[in-house]
Amino acid sequence: MDLMFYLVAVILTIAAVMGVVLLHVAYITYFERKILGDMQDRMGPMEVGFHGLLQPIADGLKLFFKEDIIPTGANKIIFTAAPILVLVPALIGFAVIPFGRDSFTIGPITLHPIITDVNIGILYILAFASLGAYGVLLGGWASNSKYSLLGGLRSAAQVISYELPLGLALVGPILLSGSLSMVNMTSAQSGGALHWFILVQPVAFFIYVISAIAETNRLPFDLPEAESELVAGFFTEYSGMRFAFFFLAEYANMILTSCVATVVFLGGWHAPHPALEFIPPIFWFLGKVYFFLFFYIWIRATLPRLRFDQLMAFCWKIMLPLGLANILITAIVFYFIKNN
Amino acid sequence: MQVAITWLRNILFAEIVQGLKLTFKHIFVKEITDLYPHEKRVLPAGYRGVIAHLRYDDGTEKCVGCALCEAACPSHCITVVSAEDPHIPQRRFAKQYILDVTKCVFCGFCVQACPVDALASSPEYEMATGNKRELMMDKEAMLSLGDRYFPDRAKRPPYTEDRFTFFNKLKTSAFPKSHQTVPPSHKAFS
Repeated sequence: MDLMFYLVAVILTIAAVMGVVLLHVAYITYFERKILGDMQDRMGPMEVGFHGLLQPIADGLKLFFKEDIIPTGANKIIFTAAPILVLVPALIGFAVIPFGRDSFTIGPITLHPIITDVNIGILYILAFASLGAYGVLLGGWASNSKYSLLGGLRSAAQVISYELPLGLALVGPILLSGSLSMVNMTSAQSGGALHWFILVQPVAFFIYVISAIAETNRLPFDLPEAESELVAGFFTEYSGMRFAFFFLAEYANMILTSCVATVVFLGGWHAPHPALEFIPPIFWFLGKVYFFLFFYIWIRATLPRLRFDQLMAFCWKIMLPLGLANILITAIVFYFIKNN
Repeated sequence: MQVAITWLRNILFAEIVQGLKLTFKHIFVKEITDLYPHEKRVLPAGYRGVIAHLRYDDGTEKCVGCALCEAACPSHCITVVSAEDPHIPQRRFAKQYILDVTKCVFCGFCVQACPVDALASSPEYEMATGNKRELMMDKEAMLSLGDRYFPDRAKRPPYTEDRFTFFNKLKTSAFPKSHQTVPPSHKAFS
């Protein structure tokens, strides 16, 4: 009986997290279009619903009813599997993100604000983020189109390169908290904004944010889907729901990297000051995540796209040495502080 | 020192921060776009849209079928077939008048060329249609456009009223007041 209640609780939590994440993914597109519009002195979507609030639903319906085209000469199995290969790793990472502090009980069922606390949570997220690159590469190859193939190749090169500084940036906070679990990392930063890792690891924070933008193929690093050169990059040949899967995966990845940045650098659901603890932790968490999402869009509205060699040079010549130096200095300083 | 400052600016992404500041400021700038189909811009008085035919205040059409507009048109979009009125000798009118809006460049030369001020640039600009043949406008369509936008003289843009075309000026200077052959409704123009 206990096992059954436990299973029901787990399934309920998963359903709630997936539902909320997908809803946020849908409305991030609206948020992005509105903010881009505001920054460019336009209005953004205004037609569907009050100030265009129903636009994501209209877009979703449109994509759902669109014809599903598989180009001739495409490898059907891989072409069909690629969008799923991209979307699943993007969504699966949310399993280890702690969204809040309090678990609440309905009758015999206890719901936790986290699906599961894996003790290697951050490694788990990084591992699945790398799997997403396979979907992009296979989708680009299976489309039998030169634009898709070039987009897929660029994406693979970019994601593999930027995964290194991304991982290295996370090593600093891991050293400081002494744990790979997202829950322990959050609790290591309790007690106000002065304990957040952004203050002791500012270099790691900057490296993480830049690599995260590159990792999710967002502007100014959106070379895999550079529309002026590659039409749409690796999903040029996709339409309908398969295209929507790629789209959802991109935005889910944005939210996931924002969540990781929040947990690792901004203290997760902790309030910036103990006096502000009366506001529910989930709101602090959401606020921080939305700060990052806003930053993504803000950067997109500001910067033009990089050239591919600039992108690679920036990664290998600046980010990687900086990340390594950051680890070295953090480790040495931390060792002496701990032993004295 | 200068090198150090440049280096510091580079590693702190000073230029990117400057750009971010600018884009952030623009969030609070009022939108410069309109919600087009719902709210439309106020057009200036001299706006040159689709050409319309005008009538005299008694309802008769002004056009005399002289085809000077056809001669003035730089894109050859006007075709005039002139004929004599069977009831009034020597009175000519345009039997057929076709304006091909797909070719028109909206220069307004025809309006200036017209000796009797029968043409005017209407403020109509929403000519998008699914049927291209609708854009071959005949005289009736142009007259109804004129009736819609210039139902009487008072509604006409000031430049149509104040302008004296060459022939109208000629008429006033060539004939003494007593010998004027212009009907009473013409007087406002000459």
